[in-house]
Amino acid sequence: MTAMNILEVRDLATHFFTLDGVVRAVDGVSFDLARGETLGIVGESGCGKSVTALSILRLIPPETSRIVGGSVRFDGRDLAALSEAEMRAIRGHRIAMIFQEPMTSLNPVLTIGTQIAENVVRHTGVPWRAALDRAREMLDLVKIADARRRIEEYPHQLSGGMRQRAMIAIALSCNPQVLIADEPTTALDVTIQAQILDLMLELKEKLGTAIIMITHDLGVIAETAERVVVMYAGRKVEEAPVEALFAQPTHPYTRGLMHAVPRLDADAEIAGRRPRLQEIPGIVPALNRPIAGCAFAPRCGFATERCRAEAPPLVSTSAGHAVACWETARVLEAA
Amino acid sequence: MVAITDDTAAERAELPVMARWATAIRRNPTIAAGAVLLAVLVSLAILAPWLTVDPLKQATINRLRPPSERFWFGTDQFGRDIFARTLHGARVSLIVGLTVAAISGVIGLALGIVCGYFRRIDGIVMRIMDGIMAIPSILLAIALITLTRPGLAVVIIAIVIPEVPRVVRVVRSVVLSIRGQPYIDSAIAGGTRGFKLLARHVLPNTLAPLIVQATYICAAGMLIEAALSFLGAGVPPEIPSWGNIIAQGRNFFQIAPWTILIPGVFLALTVLAVNLMGDGLRDRLDPRLARRM
Repeated sequence: MTAMNILEVRDLATHFFTLDGVVRAVDGVSFDLARGETLGIVGESGCGKSVTALSILRLIPPETSRIVGGSVRFDGRDLAALSEAEMRAIRGHRIAMIFQEPMTSLNPVLTIGTQIAENVVRHTGVPWRAALDRAREMLDLVKIADARRRIEEYPHQLSGGMRQRAMIAIALSCNPQVLIADEPTTALDVTIQAQILDLMLELKEKLGTAIIMITHDLGVIAETAERVVVMYAGRKVEEAPVEALFAQPTHPYTRGLMHAVPRLDADAEIAGRRPRLQEIPGIVPALNRPIAGCAFAPRCGFATERCRAEAPPLVSTSAGHAVACWETARVLEAA
Repeated sequence: MVAITDDTAAERAELPVMARWATAIRRNPTIAAGAVLLAVLVSLAILAPWLTVDPLKQATINRLRPPSERFWFGTDQFGRDIFARTLHGARVSLIVGLTVAAISGVIGLALGIVCGYFRRIDGIVMRIMDGIMAIPSILLAIALITLTRPGLAVVIIAIVIPEVPRVVRVVRSVVLSIRGQPYIDSAIAGGTRGFKLLARHVLPNTLAPLIVQATYICAAGMLIEAALSFLGAGVPPEIPSWGNIIAQGRNFFQIAPWTILIPGVFLALTVLAVNLMGDGLRDRLDPRLARRM
C-alpha cells in the first residue's frame, strides 16, 4: 500500500496565530495520493483546501502560521524533517504547483521560454540551451502553437488560457511526481476551462503525474478526479471514489453542496418544475475558537445533541468510502 | 485565434525601419520631443570645445557686448564669450543631473529592495530616510563645502543625499506590491531561492517606476545645482556652470540681460527636455505612478 502512494498526509494540522486567536485552518486532515492518481479536494472558500496544499509544500507564511501536527510523507520521506534547501529542491521538481491566477502568475518581465528554462536549469542543472529546447518541447506538449516563437514572447502577449497552459508547462517541465493544482481553472471562462482540464488529464496519462485538484467546483471534480476528499472547516468530512460520491453523497454537507449546484437537466423539466436552488443554511463557523463536536452541526438538518458534543470519527461505509458523521443511517434513509 | 496573432506579428516585423520609427514617434510624441531636445543639448555639450572659444578667456575690451555675429550670445563683464560659457555650462549641468540620478538611483534601489523585502530592517531604515529627507540640500551643501574643498563631487554628494530617500520610498512601495503578486508565490512554489527571487523576479519589476523617478531626479538635480552655484555654495566660480554664469551676470542684468537670460533659457530647456522624457516614459511604463513635483 505504502509503495503505491506517492504522498501520504496524516493528521495534518496547520494553525494561524492571529490577533483574534488561533485559527485552525487545517485541523487533522489525512489522505493518500497514489502514483498517477487524480485526487480532488473540494470545499467552499476558507475550508482549508489551499492551506492544505501549501502545507504540503511548506509554503505557509512563517510569520503567522505553523504546521502544528501531523506528517506529510512524500515518496517515503517525511517532508517536515527536510531542510529548507532540500525542500526547495522538491518544490517545482518533484512536487509542482499551479495557482488560480494565470494572468498574474507569470513574471511580466521574463519571456515564457526563460521562465520554463529557469525551472529546468534550477532543478536539473542542464545547460541553458538544452533547457530552452525543453521549454519548446513543453510548449508543444501543452499545445501552444508555434512554440518556437512563443518562447520569445512575454506573458502579456498570451491570452488567459495560454498563460495557464504556460504555467502547466513550467510546472511539468521537470516531470514532477505530484502536481498540485489550486483552482487552476477558476479564473478562466468555461470553454477554456474544459480545454485546460482535458489537457491536464491528457498530460497526466502521458507523464504519469499524480494530481491533487483543489476546487470548489463539483463539475471540475466530476470531470477530473478519481477520488474525492470533501473538506469543511479545516476537516475532512467525506472521502470517496468519484462515482460513489456523486451516486451516494453521504455527509449532509456533501449533499448540501450537490443541491447547491444549479441543474438544467431534463429530469427537472419533465417533473414540470425546476426546483428552487437549495442553499446550505447558516454560515461557516469561525475557526478561531475550538469547535466541539461536528463542525457542520450548526447548519445540519440531522444534527443531534451528540453531534454538537462529540466530533464524529471517519467511518468507512463501503469500499473506499468514508464519512465523518454520526447520523449516516438517518441521512441515507432520507435520500 | 492563433492564426490572427500570427498575421499581425508578421506584419509588424515587416514594417520598414523608417515606418517603425515614424510609428514610434507618433505614438509617443512626448518622449520623442524630449529625446530630440535632449539629444541636441547633449551634442552641444559634448562638442563645446570644438564649437566655441575658450570660455575662460577674458578680453575686457569686449566686455558686455550684446549678441552679435562674432559673439552669438554676447559677452559678460570680463569679455568672456557667453556662447562658449553656456555650452560648457551644459556639461556641468548634464554631468550633475545624470550622476545624481544614477547614484541616487542605485543606492535607492538597493535600500528600497532591502526595506521592501526584509521587513525587519524596514522600520529602522525608513525612519533614517525620513530624517535624511528633512535635510535641505542647500544647507547640506554649504555645510559640506565648509568642511571640504568646493568642487563638483561635493555638489553631487550634497544633492544625492536628500534625493536617496525619495527613490527608496518609490522602490520600497513597488517591492511591497510585487511581493504580493502571484508570480512571486509561483516562483517560490517552483523552488526559487531567496537571492534569485530578488534578482530575477523582484528587481526587474521595480525598474520601470525607478527609471521614471530617475528622470525627475535628474531634472531636480540640475535645478538644485544651478541654485547652489547661484548662491555660491555650488561648483567653484571658475567653472562655468549655468548657476555661476547667472550669479556673475546678476549685477549687470539691467544693462546686459543676455548674461542671465541665455543660460536661464538653456537651463529651462534642459529641465524641460528631461521632464518631457520622464512624463512620456511614465505614461508608457507606469501610468499609476504619481508625479513627484
